[in-house]
Amino acid sequence: MDRATRFDAHFAFVATGRREAEGLEAADGLIPAAFAPYRDLARLRHDYPLVLTREPRGPGPVHSLSGLVDRVLRELAPKGMAGERLRKQALRLERDIRARAFHGQHGLLSELWEHAAAATGTHSGDNSEEVLRYTASALKLDGDTVACDAAMPARLIAHAWEEGHAARARAFRKLCDALCVRLADILRAAFIHSAAGMTAEALRASVGSPHGDEFDFAAMSRLVSRRAPRDELPAARRGRIESALATLRSQRFYPDPRAAEGEAASAYEFRFADCAAAAAAFRERLPAMVETVKAIAIAELETEGRYDPAHHDGFFEEFASHSLNAEDLALFPDYLVCIEPGRNADPANANLMEMLSSGLPVKVLVETGDALEEATLGSGHFAFGVRSTRLAMTATSLGGVFVLQAPGSNLYALRERIAAGLAHRGPTLFSVFAGSDEPAAGLAPYLTAAAAMQSRAFPSFSYDPHAGGNMAARFSFENNPQPEADWPCAALEYSDEQLQREVAHPAFTFADFALCDRRYAAHFARVPRDHWNLAMVPAADWLALAGDAAAQHVPYLLAVDADNVLHRVLVDTRLMQATSRCLTLWHRLQELGGIHNSHAERLLAREKAAWEAQRAAELEALKGSVPPERGKGEDEVAATAVPAAQVAAAAVPEAQPEPARDPAVAWIETARCPSCNECQLINDKLFLYNANKQAYIGDLKAGTYRQMVEAAESCQVSIIHPGKPWNANESGLEELLERARPFQ
Amino acid sequence: MTMPVTQCIIKLHEERHDLEDYQGGVPRWCSGCGDNAILTAVQRLCRDENLAPERTVFVSGIGCSSRFPHYMKTYGFHGLHGRAFPVAEGIKMARPELKVFVNTGDGDCCSIGAGHWIHAIRYNMDMVVILHDNHVYGLTKKQASPTSPIGFKSNTTPRGSYLEALNPLTVTLGVQNVSFVAQAVDWVPELLFDIINAAYHHKGFSFIRIIQRCPEFLPKVFEPWLADPAKTLILTHKDGLTLSPETARTYKNQLAHDPADIDRAREIASSEDPIPVGILYRNPDVPCYEEVRHAGAMRTAAQLRAGLDAELDRVTVWPRS
Repeated sequence: MDRATRFDAHFAFVATGRREAEGLEAADGLIPAAFAPYRDLARLRHDYPLVLTREPRGPGPVHSLSGLVDRVLRELAPKGMAGERLRKQALRLERDIRARAFHGQHGLLSELWEHAAAATGTHSGDNSEEVLRYTASALKLDGDTVACDAAMPARLIAHAWEEGHAARARAFRKLCDALCVRLADILRAAFIHSAAGMTAEALRASVGSPHGDEFDFAAMSRLVSRRAPRDELPAARRGRIESALATLRSQRFYPDPRAAEGEAASAYEFRFADCAAAAAAFRERLPAMVETVKAIAIAELETEGRYDPAHHDGFFEEFASHSLNAEDLALFPDYLVCIEPGRNADPANANLMEMLSSGLPVKVLVETGDALEEATLGSGHFAFGVRSTRLAMTATSLGGVFVLQAPGSNLYALRERIAAGLAHRGPTLFSVFAGSDEPAAGLAPYLTAAAAMQSRAFPSFSYDPHAGGNMAARFSFENNPQPEADWPCAALEYSDEQLQREVAHPAFTFADFALCDRRYAAHFARVPRDHWNLAMVPAADWLALAGDAAAQHVPYLLAVDADNVLHRVLVDTRLMQATSRCLTLWHRLQELGGIHNSHAERLLAREKAAWEAQRAAELEALKGSVPPERGKGEDEVAATAVPAAQVAAAAVPEAQPEPARDPAVAWIETARCPSCNECQLINDKLFLYNANKQAYIGDLKAGTYRQMVEAAESCQVSIIHPGKPWNANESGLEELLERARPFQ
Repeated sequence: MTMPVTQCIIKLHEERHDLEDYQGGVPRWCSGCGDNAILTAVQRLCRDENLAPERTVFVSGIGCSSRFPHYMKTYGFHGLHGRAFPVAEGIKMARPELKVFVNTGDGDCCSIGAGHWIHAIRYNMDMVVILHDNHVYGLTKKQASPTSPIGFKSNTTPRGSYLEALNPLTVTLGVQNVSFVAQAVDWVPELLFDIINAAYHHKGFSFIRIIQRCPEFLPKVFEPWLADPAKTLILTHKDGLTLSPETARTYKNQLAHDPADIDRAREIASSEDPIPVGILYRNPDVPCYEEVRHAGAMRTAAQLRAGLDAELDRVTVWPRS
């Protein structure tokens, strides 16, 4: 086949998706070249499997196996060669556990550790098995192991939700128990002081059985009844307290775990498989929530003695569901809805958006296994995940919804975000891509999920509406690889036909992600090695070509087969159009995340231009004002002049001087008065106290100049300044003026 | 920002109290006594913070200072000599929500009560401790106290006291778990109030030594400091005190001191001329004993009774049948 014919055949495939000419083969069994080193995940150290623990006060409910092994080694293995053997054995054991989890073996970490220790120890010989069992003692925690599979996101989120639920239950029970005890104390105190509490039987019961026969309780009853003050609880108050107590004891949101079998009310269920069931449950329980919040409010007021029927009775009569706010709803458990892959479009989940926008305390996990779903409008264009990939972006626009979108492979890295989402007071949406339903060449779910994020098909981002007042504070997508680039690039090492080492930096695009799903193999055509030509350009570069140039070239991807031999596969136009649209959406996401933000760049350019113009103007002005020093250029002179101007501007102004006073008028430095009562004892109408109990001069006519001078002399801090006499007829003024002189 | 329904309701009908509302009995202190200034400053604090009188308690030992609870219209406990701290600690453990203040004197705290004082600092329970230091046993009419200056002639030291005065600040700063130490003087009321206010807002054992005048038995001992503001060194800092322009005009001798620096605090505390006034040390991260030891589960009355019965039954003498 000559070159022209080959190009026509390639172009025909790219344009039409049909392999008509010879030489173009199917791309079955091929995977992106970037995945070549990761075929056997079980042998590679990465975050999975996870260990889900239940430690109420531990470091968190989710750990990675590799993190735990690292912790054990830090604790047990000495540094240097001495610990090297233990490190190797421990890493071998970790790999064994990972392989078991990868192949579907479930169970507690301690069980898998035991089996792996036996297997690894047998392999290593000597006392390795004992040593590895000893390392288990340094773990200090245990839990279920979870591999990165389709079920993992739901298990992880549900586990974290349960831990949060348990913590909230403890806090609620603490509050509820304290209120119940105090309310019961009020009733008990009322009983003790009541007529019923002073009967002989009640007194006998209060003393206790060992001394029941030692006293004449009838006589005791007569005595205490005669002298003890009565304190009958008003009927309305008693009813209020008993009602609140009954409500708190019978609430089903967090039943008392200490209650005997059969005595505790059955707890409400808060985990659901669809939105309709969760919404129905919330509606059904709303009256109980109102009654519980009301009972708590009444209990707090009663236990503090602040309940005022005149003010509060009317308030509580009108108290209803509209009175509840987000802080009150935070007392109660959140509703967890886990929607399985493929059930997002079910009628039972049709009200998902409505539920999220209503502010209900609901945490929804939407899983998808297909980020490339076809549009329901018909064939022709990829919709690529209208419901799945765009669900999270739509939810961010609702306001008040915490949103986290991530592939399953990235969930462990985002565990703090998950915790923040579960703690968020309001609705939360977790949109997770758990891995392709039909992966190519047996790719592990971890890899296809990672590919979704790598290729920007399902980028990871979070939106926390309470993180701040603007998008910069709320929106975060730093977990995406190379977020400032269109497509992430990684070095790919391979050897050519002459077995020489070559390095390429292919971009990982949306088309590479499509190659991971065998349903879309028809969009690719493998080109034999001897048909490679210069018209073939990498798909990422092809997208950047202008129309005419694009027509002269065909896009390809690098792929590998089962033997890790490198191939080039052509990509058809339809898939490239989808890739282009994916890139457009990625650019939009970048702007939201503050990267290449067009508004910011425009503003920056404008400000930079203005600053440069201003600097030029200042330089011109300085040329005229500052004579240039010998040997210095204009720029140096300007540089030295500017710092001097800045120092002058930063000079601190002096403190304000004391206001001038008329020396003839008596006054007191009130702020320095220590309230010692000396002047008040002389004349409490001449010297008055202000609101802070510091003295000032009141009515001069109420006292004499002699009293003023005596007060000045007795003032411990000498803050009274007598001034001049206001009554010239007062006797002994000459002597008084002399005595007043030191205080003027 | 929203708050739960219960808090809305409580705040809706809050009572406000004036300064006079906190005045209990008429003070019987001598006219010119520094205790009056301390009383005024504390009443101002109660008014400004709108402290509920039924949730505030003043605990004292014996001495002029310890008359304080009688003059506050709150709960109070006028206890035994030197034993204010254990009573205050017991109140705080049983009723951690109450605001607890301790009024003690240089004899009550630094002499007979010294053992309780040291360990109260270690416990770091959330309370405000005011040491009314007038350098003399005033109530019992002029005996030397641990803080009396060397050479002070009193009824018990007619030839003058032989020992250097104890410095309560350096002692307090030397005890583990110390979290707040300050010094004030009664003749600068603005700083006196600011320091008591800062002590109130500190979570932990807030120790304030207030150097106060005794016009009856030591009328002139502080005259040099009253006459010359330069002999008072005001400690200022953005995390400590800031002066009003009027006070800054009078007291120009100021030193910037970071309350987080304990070593520097110890150095400053040992100075007696000039007298340092301000917050010497503050560490909000020291845990409070009542929180560390708080029982997890709430005990019902029935559980308490059962526990008591069980303990008492162990030593009960059973009557012969």
